Amino acid sequence: MKRKRRDSGLAALMLVPSGVILLLFVVYPLIKAVWLGQQRCGVTKCTNNGFDQYLDAFRSNEFQDALIVTAKYALITVPIGLVLGVALAVLADKYMRGVGIFRTIFSSTVATSVAVASVMWFFLLNPQVGVLSEWIGGIAKTPGLLQDPRSALWAVSASSIWANLGFTFIVVTAGLQGVPKDLYESAYVDGAGGFSRFTNVTLPMISPTLLFATVVLTTRAFQSFGEVDLLTEGGPLGKTTTLTYLAYGSGLPTSNDDGLRATVSVLLFAVLLALALVQFRGLEKRVHYGN
Amino acid sequence: MSRRVLLCMVVVGGVFTASCRSGESLTNAGIDRAPTPVTASTTPGQTTVPPTTVPRKLDTLPPCDVAALDAAAATAPVEITFWHGLSNELGRELERLTGVYNGSQTKVKVTLQFQGGYEETIDKYLQSNTDSRPDMVQMPEYMVQQMIDTKSIVPTQACAESANYDTSAFLPQALGAYATEGVQWSMPFNMSVPVLYYLKPRFAAAGLDPEVSPRSLEELLATSKQLVSSGASAYSLALDSDFDGGGGWYIEQWLSKSGEFYADNENGRAAPATNVLYDGAGGVKLLTALQSLVTDGGAVYVGDNASGQDTFLKLADATKPAAMTIGTSAALGPVLAIVRGGIIPGVLESEVGVGPMPGPNDGKGALVGGASLYIVDGKGGAKAAASWDYMAFLESAPSQSQWAAATGYIPVRNDALTLDPIKSLYVTDPRFKVAYDQLTSSLPGPTSQGPVIGPHKAVRRATALAVAEVLSGADVQTALTKAAQAANDLISNYNSQNK
Repeated sequence: MKRKRRDSGLAALMLVPSGVILLLFVVYPLIKAVWLGQQRCGVTKCTNNGFDQYLDAFRSNEFQDALIVTAKYALITVPIGLVLGVALAVLADKYMRGVGIFRTIFSSTVATSVAVASVMWFFLLNPQVGVLSEWIGGIAKTPGLLQDPRSALWAVSASSIWANLGFTFIVVTAGLQGVPKDLYESAYVDGAGGFSRFTNVTLPMISPTLLFATVVLTTRAFQSFGEVDLLTEGGPLGKTTTLTYLAYGSGLPTSNDDGLRATVSVLLFAVLLALALVQFRGLEKRVHYGN
Repeated sequence: MSRRVLLCMVVVGGVFTASCRSGESLTNAGIDRAPTPVTASTTPGQTTVPPTTVPRKLDTLPPCDVAALDAAAATAPVEITFWHGLSNELGRELERLTGVYNGSQTKVKVTLQFQGGYEETIDKYLQSNTDSRPDMVQMPEYMVQQMIDTKSIVPTQACAESANYDTSAFLPQALGAYATEGVQWSMPFNMSVPVLYYLKPRFAAAGLDPEVSPRSLEELLATSKQLVSSGASAYSLALDSDFDGGGGWYIEQWLSKSGEFYADNENGRAAPATNVLYDGAGGVKLLTALQSLVTDGGAVYVGDNASGQDTFLKLADATKPAAMTIGTSAALGPVLAIVRGGIIPGVLESEVGVGPMPGPNDGKGALVGGASLYIVDGKGGAKAAASWDYMAFLESAPSQSQWAAATGYIPVRNDALTLDPIKSLYVTDPRFKVAYDQLTSSLPGPTSQGPVIGPHKAVRRATALAVAEVLSGADVQTALTKAAQAANDLISNYNSQNK
């Protein structure tokens, strides 16, 4: 008993440094943001408005629109990104000459910043000089894919899927390398074909990895700002104004008001928290963590 | 948790979210009052707050004593920092001018700090306290009211009066752009206005005189029809709905050309603006004319032009190009350089035509765009005086002649035109002078000074939504009424937070 108490004192002492950092850089800013979120601000001062500001903001047209845009964006980017990432990882998970080159190529987008990727896609999708725009939209489509309200979100998503592909590829490749080879051999002996081995051995064995990738990709989709800012500035007609852009973009109702910016940010945090809970609770049961 | 429970949660959550929409704007969140009723006032010159005759507003603001510089500089040069948002060639030219200033005297030493752009400068300035702010800052034209409301600036008028500074050579439009309620808040520095760019070979092919550009909106429509019906060009005019372009800034220009106010209280210059006025008859007429350019005139709407290049690139389109577009005069140099590179087959650099932006009043007149220079308060009298000294150098006729010739901006003063290099540039290539002539031909009177609105950029963005809808075929009055309501909400909430 005595020893235990002494140990816990020591443990507490060792936890102090990380505790202080956590308090200073996570807990304090979070509380401050929640407090700021119930204020409305001018350029010099802020006034308290009460916490019903959160409800008002949540129910406002702009927030609801942005929530729908963000949900669509996540529903486009996460499944397509996952499928492509897994496909590339399975393709590159072979023991043969030169596969390292492909692995390097497939994972290279992880080293590409959002800004570089966006500028690249901006030119690819440009209606006058862009190659992709010509292939997809027909010759000299006006307005361009990024400017047409019907296609803008898909165009931004394409840039985002491409930029995140490297991350998914690396994570899934790591997952694949953890799958014991004897499982494949047993399945082969039992007469399972290639597709059957993939669905019955590979997928269950990498399901923890897929869960992790899903959560991270969803969070990234909900937090994406750079692509939207560089490609469309939230337009056309607000069709790409995601929650993060609503919180920090320019020329929006939030732009002259730090209080409203905080309100939207805290609401985004709440939405993401709820989403992560649902994802973990809902998908965990279906995830196979091995023995 | 079973799948069924999860499914239920998702469904309930979705229904909850969907039923949640209040129909209110985010800008009213947390504000416990009824939305302000929209007063449909469109009478030019109307003010809701009459101009007062109480003591000069300037006397209630931070003072400036230019003599403080000599006293402080007796021991060592006064060091000042200047935040600006000019990149590339513009930034390099500013560095060069500043180098000349630093080398020409020993009282002041200026350190330039490039902030990455206007938006970055604004964000950093507003988030900083007095100690971390610079001594002098450059802000774009839509920031006037916000800069006043920060209560952090020494009005340049205070310094000008202290120095007995002669402003008679300045363009009245240039100074007036940065003056409200009888106070000159900042000094104009880099000025630009929208102009018409057109391709002369396509005008010639359509049987039009390539040396004459359309002036009124009616002429613009007629020219457009001619360009398309003759087969000289697939599209006539490339239009956009960018809030810094066709969606916002140009709308302000067009209303001014027709002698109308964009916002009440004389565009927010007699007293802070409370409402926009563009949903009245003048605005409806203007946007109807724009819509007919697309429906009848073969104009092409390129979208909201977030990059600022889509309208220009439409002129270079390989298969279905346009023959005209409206763009900022500051783009003339880069546009000519790119055309010189051969981006448009069959069009030489000399065949790019520039005319005044077509509009009411035969296209005469323009509102000043660009940026101005502010002196930051709370840095001590010597720093303010030093900032003024440097500013006076940048505003001088030789500096402005050099600056305008190197960048394509309009000189802020007339006497700069008597000096080289701008004097000879305006003679050898009159296209550079179009913007200057357009600006100086503005109608006399307060409608020729652009709107000053606290949340100016957000208001422009709300307006741009309406323009985007109209150019895509929506009903003009409905779109404008909705945009005006959004703009008025933004303004009233801004005003209530910045009393």
